[in-house]
Amino acid sequence: MDTLSEQIRNAVKQASIRARGESIVERPSKSLTRPSAAWTSPSRIGSIQGTALSIVLSSIGCAHARSSEGGCTMCSYLLDGTDKNPTEEEFLLQFQSAMSKLDKHTAPLSVKIYTSGSFLDSDEIPASTRNQMLESISNDDRIKEVVLESRPEYVTDSVLTEVRRILGDRRVELGIGLESSSDIVRSVCINKNFNFRSFADSVNTAKRYSIGTRAYVLLKPPFLTERSALLDAQKTVTDALALGVSTISLNPVNVQRNTLVEDLWEKGKFRPPWLWSVVEVLRHAHRIAEGTINIVCDPVAAGKSRGAHNCGKCDAPILDAIRRFSLDQDVRSLESLACDCRLLWLHVLEHEDISLQTHT
Amino acid sequence: MKLTEFRIGRGHDGPARIGEYIMGTQVYETPALTSACLSDDRFLPYKTIGRAMSHSSEPHLLALPFETSLDALKGEVGDSDSLLLPSLPAFSALGDDAGVLMLKHQLSVIDEIRSHIAPSRVILRVPEEIGPEALASYLKDSHSRGVRAGAFTFDGMLGNSDLNALLSRSHLPLSWLAVALGRIAPGTIPLLYYMGFDLIDIGHAQEAAAKHQRLWHNGAETIRADEHHRYCACTSCQHLEDIGPSEVTDVLLQHNVNVYVSVLSEAIDAMNSGRLRWLVESTTHYSPAHASILRRVDRQAYSFVEEFTPSSGAPVVPLIGPESYNAPAVRRFREYIANRYRPPSGKKVALLLPCSARKPYSDSKSHKRFLETIEASLSGATSQIAQIILTSPLGLVPRELERIYPAANYDIPVTGEWDTEETNLAAEALATHLEKFDSDVVVVAHVSGGYLGIVKTAEHRIAQSIIYTSPEASPTSWESRESLQETLVDLKSILPIRSSRPQELEEIVRATADFQFGPGAGDALVPEGAKLMGKPYRQILCQVQKEQVCSYVADTGLLSLTLGGARRLAPLNRYWVHLDAPSVKGGSIFAVGVRDADQSIRPGDEVIVINSHDEVTAVGRSEMSGREMSELERGRAVSVRHKEEGG
Repeated sequence: MDTLSEQIRNAVKQASIRARGESIVERPSKSLTRPSAAWTSPSRIGSIQGTALSIVLSSIGCAHARSSEGGCTMCSYLLDGTDKNPTEEEFLLQFQSAMSKLDKHTAPLSVKIYTSGSFLDSDEIPASTRNQMLESISNDDRIKEVVLESRPEYVTDSVLTEVRRILGDRRVELGIGLESSSDIVRSVCINKNFNFRSFADSVNTAKRYSIGTRAYVLLKPPFLTERSALLDAQKTVTDALALGVSTISLNPVNVQRNTLVEDLWEKGKFRPPWLWSVVEVLRHAHRIAEGTINIVCDPVAAGKSRGAHNCGKCDAPILDAIRRFSLDQDVRSLESLACDCRLLWLHVLEHEDISLQTHT
Repeated sequence: MKLTEFRIGRGHDGPARIGEYIMGTQVYETPALTSACLSDDRFLPYKTIGRAMSHSSEPHLLALPFETSLDALKGEVGDSDSLLLPSLPAFSALGDDAGVLMLKHQLSVIDEIRSHIAPSRVILRVPEEIGPEALASYLKDSHSRGVRAGAFTFDGMLGNSDLNALLSRSHLPLSWLAVALGRIAPGTIPLLYYMGFDLIDIGHAQEAAAKHQRLWHNGAETIRADEHHRYCACTSCQHLEDIGPSEVTDVLLQHNVNVYVSVLSEAIDAMNSGRLRWLVESTTHYSPAHASILRRVDRQAYSFVEEFTPSSGAPVVPLIGPESYNAPAVRRFREYIANRYRPPSGKKVALLLPCSARKPYSDSKSHKRFLETIEASLSGATSQIAQIILTSPLGLVPRELERIYPAANYDIPVTGEWDTEETNLAAEALATHLEKFDSDVVVVAHVSGGYLGIVKTAEHRIAQSIIYTSPEASPTSWESRESLQETLVDLKSILPIRSSRPQELEEIVRATADFQFGPGAGDALVPEGAKLMGKPYRQILCQVQKEQVCSYVADTGLLSLTLGGARRLAPLNRYWVHLDAPSVKGGSIFAVGVRDADQSIRPGDEVIVINSHDEVTAVGRSEMSGREMSELERGRAVSVRHKEEGG
């Protein structure tokens, strides 16, 4: 007989599987030689501003999302991937096609490699393929920073030894979706299937190779009130900082296709976070980080009903402020924001806790 | 000792009730409103553990977030606070078993904290989606642990989710405090109160104010600067004209709160005067959603609502539209007529008549004329005619029962036009009714218009022959009455109808007995040889072997039993209240002293009190339903009319 908390987790897992439905087997076939996406954007690199290239490689996708565990409740990045895994040659073509976007840019550059899963998972990206991509980066002197994304279970000594060897003395960060430092929230609300301990182990492993950790902090997974979500994100930031992560990246939940979050959202049982909550978490992070590490946030679908949003009138200026802060780390952008809807947000913070009614 | 307890007081109109929620030294009279700290002692305040801005010491409803560790309770929960148990919002949307998991979780929390927080102080959060069987079983578990309060979440859309909450509420143990949380507009308060909610969240007052909305009893108005807005007499709105934008929300909040207070006060007053159902029906015109949720409640929660609907009520019962057709008092009347009424034997003619606006019908001008015509045609033989009055939405009323509730009290808009639903209801009632008469009885339909439509609709199901005496003209017209008279005179000689002793008093008492106590009661109280005295429009006394058994009071149309009458009825095994004690002391019986009671007892019923030796020991009027008498541990169950002396 499962314990009650196992039964609760299992109910979420089964619902995630149902929400994912046939979407993974019906993924539209994509070109295996082009990345899912690649774009450049102004970015904070260490303590100065430069340009970042974000590459989303098209792969078979996250092992957790593909597995019988059902994947995370809010994530359908898997759908950006392909239904069969590209060959080494195809991966490299994807990579080169993305890298060509940097041709006209000058130093300092940052390259962020995402897949729809874990870049360090050798079943997703074979080690030799991964190493060839890293070699190609190490040959480009303009690139001062590399961010690689992975779940903690793939952060091992053997892999990091290779990464550090190839990239030399560049700034390297591992992006890890911690989401929440609460094991209850991470397991029940997100169905993420690892615990805080394994995240901490990854941070410490990375430190031994002078590799930093970019902690992805999730704001407002399902089954939390707005205030529970806000407080959980703030506590997660505090806990991640205490572990010594090198960047905090705040990710407000957006409603992605074929997810449990989307099911709830369609029933009026989920609302993405208010931008006020985003601002509140960023201010908290800035206050406790005291400028020692970067705090960044680029909310997906912000201002829209599927993304973090406010009343509609103030979304654009507040979003501007959030983006500005992410670049210059000047918290003044986040102060003195005002709108009538702030009162409504304050009401929601208070009233959802009591009523457990989703204030859509 | 400081205690937390919900005490139910006297009175019902549907599941609505009054009571007291006792939190230590603080007592909230229910129904009450609850809100965030508005520094207003009319409202029970709520806040969340570890997250509250205020730290006042008065008793609160405290919400415990799901992810908060139970260690956080220490020092945060005052001696008189009540605790809203932790649950995950939206979780029950995951499927049938998800709601059960949330209940299991709460039970485990109760067990973990019971050493320092008594279960009587916790409030179980009932999941939004859960099957009735599972819910009932977990409620039973919680009850046996000592839990005495349940909270339900409303999204304010009045759709499936809110309907589910209302239906789930009907499963709550009767002694529990029922709490309605969520987005609750003022216009929904009468319905929530009617459905038995004792504590209602008015957080929406704040939400609306933040959106610059001014709430009204039937909707909302957006206030924009420099735009015309409605006149409001409330003290708060006197300042609306001359304040800056920063103060608008405060003024609106105060106004909105005033509206909630006023709407609740109206609902309480309506419940006290037996007009709450009417008030709820009047809200159906606020929006189609209000109308549809009441119709769905009437259909899906009928037995719950009916169980607490008193058997007598306001002197005038307005039944205005389709929302009244299945009001519990109305549907119950139709069902009692169908299931309990038995026509007196020896009737030769069933005369169908239209209803009158004035009640009881015999007092109306039209019925006085009908009665004159009958008397003129059948002088000395009128007792062989059964008079049946067709009406909406009661279906039909036998003449003997015209003074009973709500037949003597209902008031409908009279246009002469009937909709299909009410025609069908009446036709169904008529067909069922006439099946109880011999097939050689002649049906005389002295009706026109919509009433004629009823007879025509039922015609194919009527075995007897039918004579229409007023198909073209108004039944009250001279021609029609002439036609009725000719028909009755003809029937008198053809059937024939012979002169016979008037039976009016016997028929009234028997029919009333059957209606009140079920089949067989009339024969038991008025056997062959019973002696009846009095007048139908005042009082009728019934004696059997020189012992008075009951009296009929025309004002209520109901029988009062004597102990002798109760003994005659006791073998029917209905309307009994079984005591733990050998006798009754004082003028009231309290629920705590009731061992068990007939589940068919409704508030206001005449009941038979049986003592611990299985003997009739008293009669009286019920103050609550039979199930409440059995389950509640407090409250007045029966007001005693007669009892065995020397007990």
